[in-house]
Amino acid sequence: MSEAVLKTEKVSKVYTMGKREVHALSDLNLQVNKGEFVAIMGPSGSGKTTLLNVLGCLDKPTAGKVILDGVDISKLPERELYKIRRNKIGFIFQTFNLLPYLSACENVELPMEPTKRPKNERRQRARELLKLVGLSGREEHRPQRLSAGEQQRVAIARAMANDPAIILADEPTGNLDTENKYEIVRLLANLNITQGTTVVIVSHDSQVASHTERMLLLRDGRIAKEKQGLHLLKKKLMCPYCGGKIQPSDARCPSCRKRL
Amino acid sequence: MLVIIALSFTLAIMISIPAGVVANQDSTQSLTQRFNSTIMDTEQQINQTTTLVEVSTSNGGMFSSSPSEISGFPSNMSGPPSGTYPPRSAFTLEEFDLNESVVGNISSIAGVKDVVPFLVKSSSETTEETITTPRGDFTISRPLYTITGVSLNSSLIDEYPVLPTNITAGRNLREGDSGVLLMSLNLTEYYGVGVGSEVEVNGTSFMVIGIYDQTGQGFMETRGVYMNLTDAQTTTNETGNVSRLDVYAENASCVDTINTQVQTMYSAEINSREMSVQTYADRLANLQSQQTRYTEILISAESTVAQTQSVATQEIIVALAATSLIVLFVMLYTVRERTKEIGTLKAIGFSNWSVMSQFMLEGVMLSLAAGVVGIGIATVGAPILSGVLLPAVNPFGSRNTGFQIGGLDSATSLGSSATSAVVTPSIMLLALGAAVLLGAVGSLYPAWRASRTRPAEAMRYE
Repeated sequence: MSEAVLKTEKVSKVYTMGKREVHALSDLNLQVNKGEFVAIMGPSGSGKTTLLNVLGCLDKPTAGKVILDGVDISKLPERELYKIRRNKIGFIFQTFNLLPYLSACENVELPMEPTKRPKNERRQRARELLKLVGLSGREEHRPQRLSAGEQQRVAIARAMANDPAIILADEPTGNLDTENKYEIVRLLANLNITQGTTVVIVSHDSQVASHTERMLLLRDGRIAKEKQGLHLLKKKLMCPYCGGKIQPSDARCPSCRKRL
Repeated sequence: MLVIIALSFTLAIMISIPAGVVANQDSTQSLTQRFNSTIMDTEQQINQTTTLVEVSTSNGGMFSSSPSEISGFPSNMSGPPSGTYPPRSAFTLEEFDLNESVVGNISSIAGVKDVVPFLVKSSSETTEETITTPRGDFTISRPLYTITGVSLNSSLIDEYPVLPTNITAGRNLREGDSGVLLMSLNLTEYYGVGVGSEVEVNGTSFMVIGIYDQTGQGFMETRGVYMNLTDAQTTTNETGNVSRLDVYAENASCVDTINTQVQTMYSAEINSREMSVQTYADRLANLQSQQTRYTEILISAESTVAQTQSVATQEIIVALAATSLIVLFVMLYTVRERTKEIGTLKAIGFSNWSVMSQFMLEGVMLSLAAGVVGIGIATVGAPILSGVLLPAVNPFGSRNTGFQIGGLDSATSLGSSATSAVVTPSIMLLALGAAVLLGAVGSLYPAWRASRTRPAEAMRYE
C-alpha cells in the first residue's frame, strides 16, 4: 500500500574516541513511507543527530544500508553524494543557516544554482515557494531583517527548492518561541497535506513531535518505541481533540478552539 | 578592507621595484651609450690630431690634467674639435695672449705645414646659473658667451676642423667675411635673434649670418659666436694677438721636432706658464686617461645595476611570498569563520569543486582588488618606494668624485632618472597577472580545506 521513500537496514555508526568506541547507532531499522510526517525523538546522546546525518548523506554509516528513493546511498562516493543531497533531500536546520548576504529569494534559489535550470525559472520557483510558506512581499529582505520564524520559513522554502524526495529537519523549532514553533510545525504539516511532502523531524520537544503522525523514540542508538501522533487525524481534516471538521490552514479548531 | 590595504602595499612594492630597476637600467644604458660614443669620438679625435701641435696661452689649453677641466670633456667632443672653448668660470686667471708674430715664427719651423690661429675671448657679461644635481643645487657664474676669432683663410678652414659644422640656419663663415658672425643656437634663443639680425659685440655691430647647433657639448653648453679673426681682434681690443695656435705638421714624424723647437723658442714663456705646447702624444695620454676613467665609471655603474638587480630579485621574492601568505591567512580565517556556511552549502547540494572554486575566486578577487589599489599606490609612490627599497640607484652616488669625473652632464641625468621609476602599462599588466596568480596560490590551500569540510561537522560548528 505505502511505498518506502527512506529505509535503513541494520545501520550502525561507531565513533572512535581515543581507545573507546561509542556506538551512536546500532543495527537500526527504520522505514519512512512516501507522504509521511515522522518525528524522531530521544534524549540527548541517543543518536538523533547521527541518524539524521546518516539519513541525509552528511555522514556515512559504519555498517548497514541506507536506501533513499531506491538508491543505496551508504555505498556512494562523495562525488555522487552531493547530487543526492541536492536533488533528493531538503535540509532544515535548527539555526536556519541562511546566507546572511543573500536575500530571501536568493537563499531559496541557492540549491537550484548547480542545476541546469535557467535563471528566470529559478527565480520564478523561488517566488512561488516563498508564497507557499507565506512570505510574499518579503522576497528581497536579507535574513537579518526577518524574524526567526520568517527565517525558518525561508529555510523551509529553500529545502523544497529542488522538489526533494524527503525533507529532513533537525530541531526546526529549537530556536523559536512558542508562537513561531507552532507556526512552523503547522506549516510543515500543511505542506505535508497539501503538497504531499515527506517530512522527517528530529526533535526532543514532545509537543512538537505529537503534531506528527508517527513518533519514533530513539534510545541507545536504536528505536525503542513507536507512537502515533495527532497528525494522522489532521490528515483526514478532523480535529484530533474533538473530532470536528477542520481546514489544513486552521490555527485552531473552529469548534473546540484548541490549538492544532 | 585593512587586508586589501596591506595587500595592496605589498603589491605596490612588487610593482615599484621592477619599475625602479627598469629606470635604473634605462639610465645606465643611456649613460653607457653616451660614454661609448664619447670614447669613440675621443678615438676619432686622436686619429685626426696626429699631426697637430697645439700652442696656446696656458689658460686656454683644454687638456691640462686639472680634474675640474675634465668636466668640459664632453663639450670638446662634438663641437669644433680643438680647444675653441673659453676658460670656464672656474678659471678666473687673467687671459694671456700670444702676439701674432708667433705665427710667423712657428710657420718658419721646418716641417710645419700650416698654422691656424684662434682668438678666444669671453664676454665681460656673465650669467648666474643654477644646476640641479643629486647632491644639491649649485650656482655658478659664467661668461654670457665666448667670442672665437678664426682665420678665414679658405685653405685652412676647408682642411682643418676650425669652424662648427652643424649649421642649422643661414650659412657658415667663409673666406672674406667681415662684419658678420656665426652664432650658437642657445645664444640666439637667449637674445631672441635670428639669421640677418644685427647684434652688438663689445660696441661693434655684426650681422648674424648663420646659426650652429651647439647641442651635444655637455650639460652646460657654451654660448658662442664665431667671426673673422681680425674682427675679433678689433672688437676685443686685442689687435695682433691670438690665444691659441693649432700647428699642423707635414707628417707625424715631424711633430716631436716641431714640439722641441717651439719649446726652445719660447722657453721663457713656457716656464712662466704663459704659454703651453701640447702634441699628439700629450693629448693621447690625456684622452686615454679620460677613456680609462669613463670605462671605470661604466664598470662601476654596471656593477651597481647588477647589485641592484640582485637586491630587487630578493625583495620581489619577499613581496611575492608576503602577498601569498597574506592571502593564505586571510582565506584560512575566512574559511574558519564561514565553516557553517560551507557546511550549509555542502548540505544543500554544492559539490566540493564548486565550494573550492568559490573560495578560490574570492581569494583571487581579494588580491585583484588589492592589485588595482596597489597599482594606484605604485603609480604615485614608485619613485619613493623604489628609492627606499633599492640600493644606490645613482652609480655616482657612492663616488664623491663623480661630480668632477663624470661631468655634471651624466651625473645630473642619472640623478633624475633615479627618481623617475615609472609604472608602465606592461608592468601594470604583469602586476595584475601576478595578483591573480598569487591570489590563486594563496587561496588554494584554504579553499581545499573548505571543500574538504565534512558538512556534518560544519553544521555543529557555531
